[in-house]
Amino acid sequence: MTAVLLIEDDDRIRLSLAMALEDEGYTAYTAATAEEGLAEQRRRPADTVLIDLMLPGMDGYECIRRMRRTDDVPIVVVSARDDTHDIVAALEAGADDYVVKPVAVKELAARLRALRRRARTLQQPAPATSVLTFGDLEVRPEAGEVRVRGEPVAVTRTEFRLLCELADHPGLVLSRQQLLQRVWGHEFGDERVVDVHVGRLRQKIERETGSPRHLVTVRGLGYKLLP
Amino acid sequence: MKVMGLRARVSAAFAVGALLLSACVSLVSYESTRNTLLAEREGTAVRATYYDAAVVGAGITGTDPDVLEVLRSLDTGSDRYVLLYLDGRWHSRSADLAAGTAVPTALREMTARGEAGAQRIRRDGRAALIVGVPLSGSAVFYEIISLRELQRTLQTLALVLTAVAIMVAAAGAALGWYVTRHALRPLTAVAGAARGIAGGDLTTRLDPHTEPDLAALSVAFNDMADQLARRVERDRRFAADVSHELRSPLQTLEAAASVIHKRRDELDERGAAAITLLTAEVARFQQLVNDLLELSRRDQPVLRESVDLAELARRVCRSRDLPGDLVEVVPGTPPAWPVDRRRVEQALGNLIDNAVRYGGGPVAVRVGAGFLEVDDAGPGVGVADRAGIFDRFVRGPASHARGDGDGTGLGLAIVAEHAAAHGGNATVGERPGGGARFRIDLPGPRT
Repeated sequence: MTAVLLIEDDDRIRLSLAMALEDEGYTAYTAATAEEGLAEQRRRPADTVLIDLMLPGMDGYECIRRMRRTDDVPIVVVSARDDTHDIVAALEAGADDYVVKPVAVKELAARLRALRRRARTLQQPAPATSVLTFGDLEVRPEAGEVRVRGEPVAVTRTEFRLLCELADHPGLVLSRQQLLQRVWGHEFGDERVVDVHVGRLRQKIERETGSPRHLVTVRGLGYKLLP
Repeated sequence: MKVMGLRARVSAAFAVGALLLSACVSLVSYESTRNTLLAEREGTAVRATYYDAAVVGAGITGTDPDVLEVLRSLDTGSDRYVLLYLDGRWHSRSADLAAGTAVPTALREMTARGEAGAQRIRRDGRAALIVGVPLSGSAVFYEIISLRELQRTLQTLALVLTAVAIMVAAAGAALGWYVTRHALRPLTAVAGAARGIAGGDLTTRLDPHTEPDLAALSVAFNDMADQLARRVERDRRFAADVSHELRSPLQTLEAAASVIHKRRDELDERGAAAITLLTAEVARFQQLVNDLLELSRRDQPVLRESVDLAELARRVCRSRDLPGDLVEVVPGTPPAWPVDRRRVEQALGNLIDNAVRYGGGPVAVRVGAGFLEVDDAGPGVGVADRAGIFDRFVRGPASHARGDGDGTGLGLAIVAEHAAAHGGNATVGERPGGGARFRIDLPGPRT
């Protein structure tokens, strides 16, 4: 049974979404505040976290940041806000995906499945056979490991998936839509999700984020990974 | 009756003022010149008469003098005429018996008292001056001096002064015209700003410092623009806020409806029918809220980037479970076109949804240089409905014919907004062979 932690202050939404998610085959843990959510995740870690941004006390952004410090669990923001500013801020805080209320339960379930799918591949540690090397950057897809100049770097599962996707096509340009489809499982989605994740990855693997050498933007086309 | 314009009125006032002023100056200067010239002429005439009178007085002292000879000896020129009254008889150089009648009575009385005098008279309809000098005994010497030359000079002067007055009036009118043009020039800026606001640019403002005299107008204008912008913003925010506030209850509705929908097999027939209706309406309600929010954000800038429109169109088709090969690329279409991807995706998606809903599905999606077309083979859109179909909450006859109230009535309005945001427009025409052809033009950015 896959467990989902739902952090939402609106009682009716929390109740109805929990019921609907259980209908989709998930076990739903719920929390009404960010503090409760953090405690709940420590006590009984869920496989995916759904979080609202507008919470009493600690807001959703801070909650995501705190959770990210210790946990690479996939986090999906479910918010009524849909300004670019809010979306980018939530993704930069460490969220993996963003959906705007009201979201159809089927759509939400599909997104969670996509996140679970990529999470599962990583939870089956295989012998670290293959190593993809890009200069001082090493990606070990089977081991779920990224090394820069020999030092292991902590990346989230989504960041790792994104890096593996680019590493599988060395020097090839992948469009944002292709990446959305392959990494997030979105048929049709918001490209800002890709851009923010690329930015986050650059902070971890590039010497100078301002002038990236490995994860390069190809204007008007997409991204590619270079040695 | 047409009201006289400000410029015409100001010019007329300037002309009248200038005319009055120059007429006064002309009259005064004419009068003073005339008096000066006359006084001078009189002085000269009197001096000449005294001189002549002394000659004549000396010539007639003897007994039985030859008066005619004496008079003829005077050098009078053509404009002077001499008369001598001697012993009750008039003498002149010609045998003119009526000569004495030219001398006015007042002057005769004056000279009879032994005083010399001068008087202006009209002789043969011409201005003249008569000077009388009493001689010894009862003799009086008169000289009539024609003022014709002086009169002619004064006429010329009057003519010149009149001409000058007219010219000054004309110059006044021209000055008025010129001054009002300058005075009204700042109003051109006001008119331009007003046009800007009417055209939708609510940020247009006037700088009150450029024209201190019109500062009050500029400030009032800016105030009006501010209030208008605030009101527009308030309306926009209201629509956005309402839509926003609806999202949370809608989320509950959506989730709760999906829970019941899962259990519709456990419901009786009526309950199952009701939950099917409820689920469909919640979906439509969601779409309506999203469309309203989209429209309330129409002032947001267009984020242009190079987009492969053909690829985008294929993706939009696939996302609607339509084959990607519906997309036809017009020869000569550039591989990429600078557009706001999100807006164009939504606009094209709405056109395709529209074709699915009311036109029996799209039969072609055409991509060209800066335009997209969606063809369907449905009933088409009547000429009378074509302009209004892009308005909000307007549904075409095809929609009424279906009668199921599907759609939000905002889809095509959003298409029009997105096209307008790109500086283009959305139109509908007839597809050759029947059906409707919707088209959005997306001009490249203005350079």
